[in-house]
Amino acid sequence: MGKIIAVHSYKGGTGKTLLSINLSAALAKHGKNVCLFDLDFRAPSLATLLRIEKAEHYLNDYLNNASDINNVLIDLSDRVGKKGKLFVGLANSGTEAIRDMSAKDRKWEMRALGRLLALRTSLLNDKNFDYLIFDTSPGLQYSSINAVVSADLVLVATTFDRSDVDGTRRMLRELYDLFEKKTEIVLNKVLDVSSKSSKDDIQAKLKDVYQVPLLGIVPCFCDILKAEGGTIFVEEKPDHPFTRIVNDMAENIDRLP
Amino acid sequence: MIVATPEAFGKKPLQVLEKIKENLERLNDKMEVMIELQKPGKKDALHPISDRPLDVMTLLSMPDHLRKTAMSLCRIGRATAEEVSQQTKRARAVESAYLNQLVLMGYLKKERTGRKAYFYVDRENQGGP
Repeated sequence: MGKIIAVHSYKGGTGKTLLSINLSAALAKHGKNVCLFDLDFRAPSLATLLRIEKAEHYLNDYLNNASDINNVLIDLSDRVGKKGKLFVGLANSGTEAIRDMSAKDRKWEMRALGRLLALRTSLLNDKNFDYLIFDTSPGLQYSSINAVVSADLVLVATTFDRSDVDGTRRMLRELYDLFEKKTEIVLNKVLDVSSKSSKDDIQAKLKDVYQVPLLGIVPCFCDILKAEGGTIFVEEKPDHPFTRIVNDMAENIDRLP
Repeated sequence: MIVATPEAFGKKPLQVLEKIKENLERLNDKMEVMIELQKPGKKDALHPISDRPLDVMTLLSMPDHLRKTAMSLCRIGRATAEEVSQQTKRARAVESAYLNQLVLMGYLKKERTGRKAYFYVDRENQGGP
């Protein structure tokens, strides 16, 4: 049985989408069948980053009960070699669609949760996907909490920014703990991880602050900033240190029970 | 009330025992609801509230013991107290009480199929489009 992974954060700009895309590509390169979904309905970005011009159906349509999930999926497997499969489900970036998703009521959100949970049967069981990866919006948005509740594992992308650390700590205690979610931290944009001692210090500090396992530490790479979101490192720069870190994370995730 | 009907006496002992067990289970369900209603502040629940959305914000505001049950049912979809108890690792009777409480609160629906009582979240029929 496959797993649903939600990639979430307290603040925006922590690298959720970068992590989601590269982790999905890394898992697919390792032979896994992966489906990546854009659940950031207020600021969709996967279509742009993955250079997909247009989709016939969006995840919005599936959640609105207006489309089957199979019509939403776009096959990008040719980008990740022959081992695994990579599909993507996009969020509609049209202004009208964003406004529509922002105005949903509680009953709609409840049904949306049901439809996200149903993906476990339709994609993990019936279509044999190994991983569904939900790239969420930051903070306590309805769609993000729905994604967290549906997930088997939550990856929290965080930085050393003080307000992010405070917010993430609160979110872990007041959201994930209540839902008894298995959580792993990915610390992004770290300035000094050059030596083993600095890495150990960071690990000890994180363990103390968050009290959840650390999946990986990502240094602040200028190449990532220079790429302006236009490069999928796992796909285009297989020897880049960032790719190696993401590959390690993918292997660690695959080893989790 | 447990009633062994005259027809039941004419059947084989195993079938009679099954009938008694079925009646006991129904009685047990009713007792659990009655016990729940006896708790302080639960008199209002005599008339179950209908169609309250079981969304994530509601789940967050629930007491821990009910959230665990509700989360488990959300995941399974439609389940008996026994099936929920296998997920939560709590006793069947405990889950049965919590599930019945969630029904009274209007978050879940309950349906009997033969001897078994199934609980589910009625997502599609709640509210408008």
